[in-house]
Amino acid sequence: MNPNRRRQFFINRPLQTRFMLAVTVPLLLINLVAMGGLYFGIWSKVLDTFSDEQTLNDLVTASRMVEYEQARHTPGTPSFSSLSFFKSTEKLGERQREVFKEILNEANRSLFWKFSLLLVLIAWGTIFISHKIAGPFFRFSQAFGTLEKGDYRARVFLRKLDEGIPAAEEFNEALEKSDRFLSDLKALTLEKDATQAVARIKEKLSQVKTSADA
Amino acid sequence: MLKRLTCFFLALLLAFSFSPASLWAFEPSPEDRELLNKIEKDTFQYFTRFSDKLTGLTKDSSRAGSPTSVAATGFALAAYAIGASRGWITRDYAYGRILTTLQMLRHKAAHQEGFFYHFLDNKTGKRVWGSEASSIDTALAVAGALLAAQYYPGTEVDKLAREIYERVNWKWMMNGSDFICMGWTPESKFLPYYWDSYNELMLLVALAVGSPTFPVPPRAWERWLRPEGDFNGHKVVYASTGALFTYQFSHAYIDFRGLDDRGINFFENSREATLANREYSLSFAGKYKGYSESSWGLSSSVGPGGYKAYGGKPGGGIQDGTIAPYAALSSIVFTPELSTKAARFFYDHYQQELYGNFGFKDAFNVDKGWWATEYLGIDQGITLLMLENYLNGESVWKKFMTLPAVKKWIELTGLNSRSASTAVATSGAL
Repeated sequence: MNPNRRRQFFINRPLQTRFMLAVTVPLLLINLVAMGGLYFGIWSKVLDTFSDEQTLNDLVTASRMVEYEQARHTPGTPSFSSLSFFKSTEKLGERQREVFKEILNEANRSLFWKFSLLLVLIAWGTIFISHKIAGPFFRFSQAFGTLEKGDYRARVFLRKLDEGIPAAEEFNEALEKSDRFLSDLKALTLEKDATQAVARIKEKLSQVKTSADA
Repeated sequence: MLKRLTCFFLALLLAFSFSPASLWAFEPSPEDRELLNKIEKDTFQYFTRFSDKLTGLTKDSSRAGSPTSVAATGFALAAYAIGASRGWITRDYAYGRILTTLQMLRHKAAHQEGFFYHFLDNKTGKRVWGSEASSIDTALAVAGALLAAQYYPGTEVDKLAREIYERVNWKWMMNGSDFICMGWTPESKFLPYYWDSYNELMLLVALAVGSPTFPVPPRAWERWLRPEGDFNGHKVVYASTGALFTYQFSHAYIDFRGLDDRGINFFENSREATLANREYSLSFAGKYKGYSESSWGLSSSVGPGGYKAYGGKPGGGIQDGTIAPYAALSSIVFTPELSTKAARFFYDHYQQELYGNFGFKDAFNVDKGWWATEYLGIDQGITLLMLENYLNGESVWKKFMTLPAVKKWIELTGLNSRSASTAVATSGAL
C-alpha cells in the first residue's frame, strides 16, 4: 500500500470547496455557452429551416429556379420533364447545402464571439483567484526572508479575502512567541549577575527542542 | 378685361398642349386615366412592401420563401424615386430607402467583377440558389440606380449609383468574344449562353458601351443578330421566345423613338411586335375563351404549369391560354389605346380574382380556371415604369436619356437621331 495515499479527501473543506467552485463554475459556463450556442445557433435554425412550410417553399422555389433558367436559356424545352425534375432536385440539394453551411458558419461565428468573451472573463477570474493564493505565498516568502536575516519582528499580514488567513495567524503567533523568547534571552544577557543569568538562560533553553537535542 | 381673358385662355391652351397626355395621340377617358393611375400606384406598393427594410433588397416574388432578385431591386430603386415624384411617399423617405439599398449593393451584396448574383439572400445579400453573376440582371439594377440618382443629383445616392455602375467590368463579361455573356458562376465560370440575338439585351449593351470605366467596343452593339420575321403582316425584328417583355424592358429606360439603328427603329419594332403578339393570341380565340380583343398579353410569366416563356409569333409562340396582364399594360407606350382597353377589361372582368393590393397579379388562365396568387418583382417593375412614362410626361425617359453613358452609347454606335414626333404620332393611333 502506498504510504502517501490520501486517506482524507477534505483536509480543509472550505478551502477545497472554494477551489472546486473556482474550477467547476467556469467549466459549467463553458458547457452552457457551448450547448446553448449549438442548440439555438444550429438546432433551432435547422428546425426552422427544415420545417414543413419552409421545405414546401424551397421545393417551389427550386422548381421556379429551374423554370427561370429554362425560360432564359432554353425556352423551347417542355417545362415539366424528367430532366427538369432532376434539376429541381439538384437545386434543392444545392440550396440545402448552402443553408446548412450558412447555419454552421453563423453558429461558429456566434460561438467564437461568445467563447472569446468567456475566455476574457475566465482569464480575469483566474488572475483574481490566483492572486488570492499567490499574494499570501509572497507575503510568507517575504516574512521568511526577514527571519533569515535575523529579524524576528516580521509578521504576515493578509487581505480580507486572501486564502491562508488562519495559517498566517498561527504563523504570526509562533513568530511572536519566538520573538518574545529571543527578547527574553537578550534581556538576560544584559544582567550583571552572569552566573544567575546563565542559569536562567539554560532553564529557558531546556524548554526548547532543537536538532542539537539527543 | 377681354384682353386678360384672351391671355388666360391662351395660357390654358398652351399648358394643355404641353401636358403629358398630349404627347400621345390617344387620350384615355378620365375614368381610364384614373384607373391607370391607380394601377401604377398599387403596383408601386409592391416595392415598399416586399423590399427588406434593413437591406433594401427586393423579393423576386410575393410568394413566401422567395429570394431577392437583383433586377427587382433595380426596379425598386426606380420605383422609390418615381413614388416620391408622384407624392405617394415623401422625398426624404424615398431617399432613405434608395440610400439603404445602394449602400447594400455597393458594400455588401455578393458580386463578381461588379456583376451581381441573380438571386441574393434578403437579409445578408449573399448569393443563394447557386445563381449566376448575371449580366442582364445587373444591367437592370444599374439602370434603376442611375435613374434614382437622376432624381437626387449631387447626393450620396448619386455618388453610390455611379460607383456601382463604374465598378461593373462589362468587358470581362465578354469573355473574349464579340458578345456579352449571360453570366458566370464560381463553379463553372462563364455560362455557355451569350446575348447574341435580339431580345431584352439592348439596355445591357447600351450601359456596357457607355461605361466610363470598362466599356465594351461598339461592335458589341453592332454584331448581335437582328432576325426578321412576320406575323399577320407585322414585320418584326424578333426575340426567340416572342415574349412581350423582351420588347419592353429596354424601352422602360431608353427612349428609342428618335434612334435609328441602320434602318430599324426599335420603338416601332416593339409596337409591331405588340400588335403581332396580340393578333397571335387572337388567332387562338376559338380554342381559348380567355383570348379576346381586349384580353391579350403573351409573355414570360407564371402559369398553370409553372413559369414559362410564353410568347407570340414571330418567335417561339408558346401559349396555353395563359395571359399576363403586365405584358399588355407594359406595351402602353407602344399601343396606348389597346393597352388601356386591356387594363379596363382585366379590371372590370377579373378584379375579384386578379387584382390585389399591388395591382394585377402575374397571370391567369380562364380556360383552366387558374389565377396566379403572386406578383413578380420584375413584372411589377416594367408595369410601373411604362405607366410612368405614359402617364407622367415620359419622365423616366427624360431623366435617363440625359445620362452621359446613354449619350456616349448613342454617339459610339452611330444611332442616328430622327424626329421623335414621327414615332409618337404613329404610336398614338393604337
